[in-house]
Amino acid sequence: VSIEERNEASKGEHPGSALADRPSAHECLQRAQEASTRDPDEAVHWLRRLVDAEATFSTWNAASALLARLPDGTTSAATTRSARIAVVGSYTTSQFVPMLRLAALRAGIDATLYEGGYGTFEQEILGADSELYAFEPTHVVLAVHEGSVRFEAFSETPEADLEAETSRWTTLWDLAREHGTRIVQHTFATRGDSPFGHLATRLPGTRENMLRALNQRIGQEAGGHTLLVDCDRLAARFGKSRWFDDRYWHLAKQAVALDALPSLAVHTAAVIAGDLGLAKKCIVLDLDNTLWGGVVGEDGLAGIRLGHGPEGEAYTAFQEAILGLKRRGLILAVCSKNNEADALAPFSDHPDMRLRLDDVASFSANWRHKPDNLREIAEELDLGLDALVYVDDNPAERAVVRQALPDVDVLALPRDPALYARALLEYPYFESTTYSAEDTRRTEQYRARKTVRSLQSSVVDIDSFLRELEMKAEIAPFDALHLPRIVQLIGKTNQFNLTTRRHSQMQIESFMGDACWVHVYLKLRDRFADHGLVAVALAEQNDAVLDIDTFLMSCRVIGRTAERALLARLSQEAMRLDCTRIRGTYVRTERNGLVETMYREHGFELVSDDLQQSVWEYDLSLKGPIVNDYIAVEEK
Amino acid sequence: MTLDARVETVFRQVLAAPDLQLQDDMSGADLPGWDSLAHVNAMFGLEEEFGVRFVGDEFARLESVGAVKEALRRKGVPDPDGG
Repeated sequence: VSIEERNEASKGEHPGSALADRPSAHECLQRAQEASTRDPDEAVHWLRRLVDAEATFSTWNAASALLARLPDGTTSAATTRSARIAVVGSYTTSQFVPMLRLAALRAGIDATLYEGGYGTFEQEILGADSELYAFEPTHVVLAVHEGSVRFEAFSETPEADLEAETSRWTTLWDLAREHGTRIVQHTFATRGDSPFGHLATRLPGTRENMLRALNQRIGQEAGGHTLLVDCDRLAARFGKSRWFDDRYWHLAKQAVALDALPSLAVHTAAVIAGDLGLAKKCIVLDLDNTLWGGVVGEDGLAGIRLGHGPEGEAYTAFQEAILGLKRRGLILAVCSKNNEADALAPFSDHPDMRLRLDDVASFSANWRHKPDNLREIAEELDLGLDALVYVDDNPAERAVVRQALPDVDVLALPRDPALYARALLEYPYFESTTYSAEDTRRTEQYRARKTVRSLQSSVVDIDSFLRELEMKAEIAPFDALHLPRIVQLIGKTNQFNLTTRRHSQMQIESFMGDACWVHVYLKLRDRFADHGLVAVALAEQNDAVLDIDTFLMSCRVIGRTAERALLARLSQEAMRLDCTRIRGTYVRTERNGLVETMYREHGFELVSDDLQQSVWEYDLSLKGPIVNDYIAVEEK
Repeated sequence: MTLDARVETVFRQVLAAPDLQLQDDMSGADLPGWDSLAHVNAMFGLEEEFGVRFVGDEFARLESVGAVKEALRRKGVPDPDGG
């Protein structure tokens, strides 16, 4: 729906009015922007309403940015819990992270967010002194995609491979748990395409089947300490051909379509909210035109539409959806403007009623103001108002409840009763982490046994993690074949870039022809992937000093010690040129704080430091060459 | 709503710059906070708003705001006021 159509569609609805029943995301954003300087609390109100509107990427992006600019403390007034949420992932999560803060706000959480470096989820969780743990997260979201799973296109030993991969993930959970934080695991959305076509379903070893089996195993293994977001279901609902937009993967390593991120954020926040005890516990239902078609007080018991015909069947399906939620543990209540006798009649006498009176924990049918009844229902059931979800077909009643009781969640049913059931089942804030107490205990015992096994059998520290990657690097002087990629990296690398000097292709070619210049690139591959040309160094010899002009690395391989291998090579080059020292310079930019201490970490001593830059030196005659531990370097 | 206004709204939202005034001769370098992330966000925001898909160079580079509008017109996006 375009901006134009949205404005058109909402003309009759008093857009922007506090009473608007279904404001579009665009209207909510405008209201929030207008209010942001005048009244931040009102801005928060509109940002929360925006989360319930039909999402677009652009509005969510703007809304998350607006939220980030609101004064500290604004969000704590609108929430009842706080959380420190770290997102570590296998793809670009820069858009997702601020959206998650927005979604958390809607779910009742005042969230502080941390975003891990690109693709470094294992290093962050395995490294005891990682920035992740310094952040002291309450929840660590593993925002990972199917590409991070180490299955081949076809597995010859499916059971063993499944076991190994399951243990890779549960090991991460167990380590995070030792640090007192909960994991929120995104399960793996499957692409829905397979080279084996329909044959794939028969063969356990196809990647598609292996991923499904892995999701299932993850579900079995996750005890009370690991929360799950079922991304395969979200992707299916969104449409897999839209969820997986390969153009954005190739351009920017976006594994989830940007307009699917709002839904991913909403569901991730809802699961965390459930863990924090914020899940809704009680559904309060209107009756006429909500549970059946028509008005029972006027149409009579025989006149209401229920059970037969397209409309009657839709109401039956809605009642069955409600019963499904009751089965899950939700409490049901009724709040209707009716004579009590009329309201009770269908429950006791209508043959097609699915809901019976004993399904309903609190029944209120009278002519009083609905907010008063809702307060009484909450008291009677000993629940807070914020545990209630009010479900009504009537926009006026919804507006009254929303206005009088902002703590009660109001579910705006669509106009067509055929869509009621789906609207209720898609409501995300019923998320509880467990189904029953016994269920949790059973899983806990199961997991305790498994944990011992997996800790015995698998990789648990960063050292073995790096070794098990079996990394191999090719390090060689620049050549024509690799020049386009080298020029590209020098032109666009921001984060892992010590000096950010944007040399042109012509300048680089002149360095290549100058014997005083050392120019090397690094290509990296490991057991699982070929990362291609990912790092570049340029250095100039000045008598006994090799001066590093440019040192940069693609952020897709941060945390793998590739920079160490490249420095080791520079130290060999320096010795070949009879240099005794290597000099490195760090030039500060807005984006490269990541590498501020890189030279220190590799044994360089600080020579000078001012606000713009720091200069470091490594004394070869004292310390000998730099040695790299984890990467086998192939000469070329 | 004109094409100009719709494009401007998208850029305001994806760059989180509610007061941005677009000119056709602006390129990425003239836009606030422009980087590779902003580029991706802008491309996606435009595809979402206009229901189109960019290909090749249209997708990988933003030559200028005018070029983006031209690409949109080529794809059949109506322009009530201009063109």
